[in-house]
Amino acid sequence: MAIRLDYIAKETGSNLARNFTLTFASILTVAVSLALVAASYLIGQGINNSFLGLRSDVQLFVYMNPAASQEQIDAVARELDDSPGVETVDFYDKERSYEEFQRLFEEQPDLVSTITPEDLPQSFRIKPSSSDADVVTALGDTLEAKEGVLRVEYAAEFARQVQRSVRTLNTWVLIVGAVLIGASVLLIFNTIRTAVFARRREIEVMRLVGASNTFIRLPFVAEGLFHGLLGALLAAFAAWGFDALWKRNFVNQVAFELLNQIRWDPSQLWSAIGIIFAVGALTGAIGSGVAVSRFLRV
Amino acid sequence: MIKLDNVTKIYKGEMVALRDASVEIEKGEFVFLVGASGSGKSTFLRLLNREEKPERGHIFVAGKDIAELPGYKVPYLRRNIGSVFQDFKLLPTKTVSENVAFALQAIGRPRAHIREAVPQILELVGLAQKAENMPDELSGGEQQRVSIARAFVNRPLILLADEPTGNLDPATSVGIMKLLDRINRTGTTVVMATHDRGIVDSMRRRVIELDHGRIVRDQARGVYE
Repeated sequence: MAIRLDYIAKETGSNLARNFTLTFASILTVAVSLALVAASYLIGQGINNSFLGLRSDVQLFVYMNPAASQEQIDAVARELDDSPGVETVDFYDKERSYEEFQRLFEEQPDLVSTITPEDLPQSFRIKPSSSDADVVTALGDTLEAKEGVLRVEYAAEFARQVQRSVRTLNTWVLIVGAVLIGASVLLIFNTIRTAVFARRREIEVMRLVGASNTFIRLPFVAEGLFHGLLGALLAAFAAWGFDALWKRNFVNQVAFELLNQIRWDPSQLWSAIGIIFAVGALTGAIGSGVAVSRFLRV
Repeated sequence: MIKLDNVTKIYKGEMVALRDASVEIEKGEFVFLVGASGSGKSTFLRLLNREEKPERGHIFVAGKDIAELPGYKVPYLRRNIGSVFQDFKLLPTKTVSENVAFALQAIGRPRAHIREAVPQILELVGLAQKAENMPDELSGGEQQRVSIARAFVNRPLILLADEPTGNLDPATSVGIMKLLDRINRTGTTVVMATHDRGIVDSMRRRVIELDHGRIVRDQARGVYE
């Protein structure tokens, strides 16, 4: 059965021209929904990447009370040496803390000049033997209870909070994207239904002379597929632009200390674009497929 | 060629359009279906090209029981059956020649074949001069000739005509009937539903009369009533 490509292209083309407003609306909705899904995917990948980075350098900061006695410091040091949960310990006395402080704030000499070594707390920097959150928390709790300890801080904790917020936001972006994909399916469905209605005379004649179902339906399914894929193309450009903007505004900016941790590889951008096209094609095929099977009976 | 075996067709579970109809039509016959409106003539025709499925009974076309035909095979059945209607069903945006060519394109015939077959059939129906006209530039009789050309261009075994002269004046109708007769002489079985007493009485062909879905008369070389 020879179904000519030029026939399908011509029929699909004339349908697209006939239904410009509806076509435009469905392509745009597909594009927006896929762009949101892609952005959500990229940020999700970025969070996973940054999380992996943080996992490998979980650190505990045990700040001693400035008034802590040498015995209390020694007791904590002994406790740390004996604890199986501790891999390495680094002790920062006041001088060493001051050096670090000077280095961190070297661009703000005014601030540095107002602080003396005496103002800074002494601290232990601990690398735990396990990065498991429960183990780390248990170790932190034990240390916090020791005499002379001011407080224990987890280097990863703030980062985790940021991650959680970003992840929540990201989930909502994904949900909105999914809802919009549903709307795209309905819009494509409706566009194809309108196209079927506009061509009902031709369809009636085709049925009477014995055109196969495939022959009658293919131009309409092709039209829906075209909506999905054109929307996907626009969304791919949007994802590419989002990637560039994110890199320029966050990743390469020291000011966004945690957001700049959320980054992804070019390969992940490519898989996002792959997802865009796959979901776009599926959206178009489902929308038009359902319309055609509902409204084009033999 | 066509055989109905105790066929019953019921619409919406109550309206009986055809009741227990049995009839046999040989290859090359010309058959008139007569009867009042709503007597089941159109249903009879619609059953033959599987526009409708019977509730009971068997319908054989060219030896196959089409009541049991799976949906995907229906298009291939229809390629052997041409259909002509009272309202022509021409596509208003296509020229005469495009309208006829459309029937061949729709079944995937090669372009070279279409280029040859379309002028040939337009010659047969006497419309070679109007090939590039639009349907609304033609008279009713000419439009019906286009529709017959479209139904016959694929050389079907059977031609179904549902009141093909219903919208035409008597003189024009005679021309259409001559054309159908000519097609019948090529060996094509023609089944035509009609209200046109003059045509039936003058042609003296087989007449099947329907009344409230029943076959009440089947007469060779018959008249309208």
